[in-house]
Amino acid sequence: MTSVALTGREATWRRALTRNGWVLGVWLLLSVLLFWYATLIPRFGQFQVVSISKNSLPLAYLAIGQAIIVIAGGIDLSVGALLLLGNVVAARFMEDQALGTVFAIGFVLIVGIAVLNGLVGYIISVSGVPDIVVTLATSYIWSGVALWILPSPGGGTAPQVRWLFTGSPSGIGGTFVTPILMMLIPAVLVYLFSQRTRLGLAMYAIGSDSTAARLAGLDTRRTKVAAYAVGGAMAALAGLATVAITGTGDPRFSVGANATLNSVAAVVLGGIALTGGVGSVLGVVAAAVILIMLNPILTAMGINPNNAQVIQGVLIAGVMMVGGVATMMRERRA
Amino acid sequence: MSGPAQSPLVDVDERGSMARAREFVAERPEIILIVVLAALILLTGAIEPAYLSVNGARNTLLQAAPLGILAGAQTILMLTGGIDLSITMIATGSAYVAANQSPNGAAIAILLGITVGLIAGSANGTGVAIFRVNPLIMTLAMSGILLGLFTAWTQTILQGSTQVAPFIKLLGTGSFFGNRIPYSVVVWALLAVILIWLLKRSGWGRLIYAVGDNEVAVRLAGVRIWQVRVSAYAAAGMLGSIAGILLAGRTGAVDLQLATAFLLPSVAAAVIGGTSIFGGVGGYAGTILGALILSVLNSMLTFLNVGQAIQQIVYGTIVLALAWGYAGLTRRT
Repeated sequence: MTSVALTGREATWRRALTRNGWVLGVWLLLSVLLFWYATLIPRFGQFQVVSISKNSLPLAYLAIGQAIIVIAGGIDLSVGALLLLGNVVAARFMEDQALGTVFAIGFVLIVGIAVLNGLVGYIISVSGVPDIVVTLATSYIWSGVALWILPSPGGGTAPQVRWLFTGSPSGIGGTFVTPILMMLIPAVLVYLFSQRTRLGLAMYAIGSDSTAARLAGLDTRRTKVAAYAVGGAMAALAGLATVAITGTGDPRFSVGANATLNSVAAVVLGGIALTGGVGSVLGVVAAAVILIMLNPILTAMGINPNNAQVIQGVLIAGVMMVGGVATMMRERRA
Repeated sequence: MSGPAQSPLVDVDERGSMARAREFVAERPEIILIVVLAALILLTGAIEPAYLSVNGARNTLLQAAPLGILAGAQTILMLTGGIDLSITMIATGSAYVAANQSPNGAAIAILLGITVGLIAGSANGTGVAIFRVNPLIMTLAMSGILLGLFTAWTQTILQGSTQVAPFIKLLGTGSFFGNRIPYSVVVWALLAVILIWLLKRSGWGRLIYAVGDNEVAVRLAGVRIWQVRVSAYAAAGMLGSIAGILLAGRTGAVDLQLATAFLLPSVAAAVIGGTSIFGGVGGYAGTILGALILSVLNSMLTFLNVGQAIQQIVYGTIVLALAWGYAGLTRRT
C-alpha cells in the first residue's frame, strides 16, 4: 500500500480527507450552487440570503434529527408528523400571549416532544417491532393529535419568535444573521454531542453493530431512547420554525408526509448510510439547504416547477447511483 | 418455566397449557389474524348492525381489493428486503394513462396503463439491483419524478379524457351474482391465487425468499441476483398499475391524489400480515388478512363518525398494537 511511504502528517491529512470527503463535497456543491444562483438572478442580496436560510430551517432541523436516529441504526418516519404537532401546538397556544409565556410554551414543546419520541424509541426497543413500522404507526397518531388540536389552519405566534427564526418580526425581509445562527448553533451542538460525548459515540456504536455494542457493555436501549429523543427535540424545533416562517399552524397530513420524505433524502444526500453508524450531522445541514435551494434555482432558470420536481428526483437517484457504483468499484479493488 | 430441566422430556411435560397454546399459535400466526379479523367484524356489527350483511361484506371487499393488490406488491418486495414508496404514484400514473386512452377502448387503456407500472417498476429495480441505491431512496425519488411528470403531462400529452371506459368502471364498481360479488374482488382473488402459487411453488418465488434471506449465499450459488430483484420490482409495478386502474374504475374519474392515501396502509397490511421488512419471512396469505383487517377497521371508524383526527389516532394505535402483539407472539425465545 502507498500509505506506508507517506509521512505521518500526510497520512493524517489523507485520512481526514477520505473520512470527511462526502461532507466536504456536499458543502462544496452548496457553495457552487449559491454562486451559480447569485449569477443567475439580476439582483442577489440580503433578501435572497434571508429567504434561503429561513426556508431551509425546518428541513435542516428535521434532517439533523433524522440523521442522529439513522446513525443510531434506526429510521423515523414520524418526524414530519412531529413537526405538524409542534407547529399546531405552538400556533394554537402562543397566539396573543405574553413573551414569557410564549418562550415557556416553546421550551415545554421541545422537551415534551423529545420525551414523546423517546417513548417511541423505548417501544421500538422493547417490542422488537422494526423502527420503520412503529414510526409509521406513530406518524398516524401524531398527525391525528395535531388535527385534533387545530382542526383547520390558523393561530399565530409572537413577533419575537418570528424574529428569532426569520430575522424579521413580520417574517418579511429582515436580517440573515439570526436564521443562519439558528441553523448553525443547533447543528454544531448536535455535531459536538455526537462526536465528543460518550452517549453520542454510543449511538455510532449501536448503529454499526448493535450486538457488538451490547457485548462491549453499552446500554443499547438507553442509547436508542436518547437518539429518538434528540430526533423529537429537533422535530419540535422544526415545528417552531414553521410557525415562525408561515405565521400560522397547518395540520395537513400531506405537509408532514412530504417533510418526512425530504428529511430522509437530506440524510442520505448528506452522506449518512441508512444502514447506520456512518456519517456526520454537518453534511446533512448542507444537503437540506441544497434541497430547498433547488426550487428557486430551477425557477430562476425558467424551468416549470413540475419539471423541477422531476429534476430533484433524478438528482437524488443519480447521486445515489454514483455513490453505489463507487462503492462497488472500491469493493472490487479490495 | 420451572427450574432447570432434568431431561427434555420432563421439560415438555412440566410446561403449562398456556405455554403450549402460545407455541401452537406462534407456529400458526394466521390464527391470530383470523381471530382479530372476526373480533373487528363483530365489533363493527355491534356498532352498526346493518354491517353484518351481504352488502356490508361487499363494501369492505370493494375497499380491500385495491389495498390488497398494493400490499401484494409490498409483500413481494419486502420478501427480497426491499420496499416501494412509489407504488401509489405508479398506481395514479397508470390510472391517468388508462383514463386518457379510454376513448380507444378498454383493452388498450388497461394494457398501456400496466405498461406504466412495468416501466417505472423496472427503473426502480435497475436502480436498486444494479446501481445499489437503497430501496427507500430509489423509490422515494421515483415517486417525486412520477408526480412531477404526471403533473406536467396532465397539461400536455395527457390532456383530454379523465373519465375511464365503461368496462373499467364496471371492473371497479360492478358486481355480479345478484349484486353480491364485486368484479374487483374477482380480479384480486385471481391475482392472489397467482401470487401465492408463484411465491410458494415456483423457482422465482423461491429465489425471492432466498435473496431476502441471505443474499451472499444466493450469489455464491450462482444466481444472478439483479435479475431476481429487477423482476420483483417490475412485478410490483404491474400490481400497482392494476390497483390504480381498479381505483380509477371505482371513482369513475382520475386525479393526482387518487391513490396517495394507500401508501402507508399498503406497508402496514403486509407487516400486520407477518411479512418481515428485513426480507425472507412472510407470505401473501397473511397480507390478505392484513388488508381485510385494515379495511374492516376503516369501515368501523367510518361508522363511529368520530372525525378525521380521532380516526387517525385510533388507526395508528391499532396498527402499532397489532404489530407489537404479533412480534411478541412469534418471537423465538
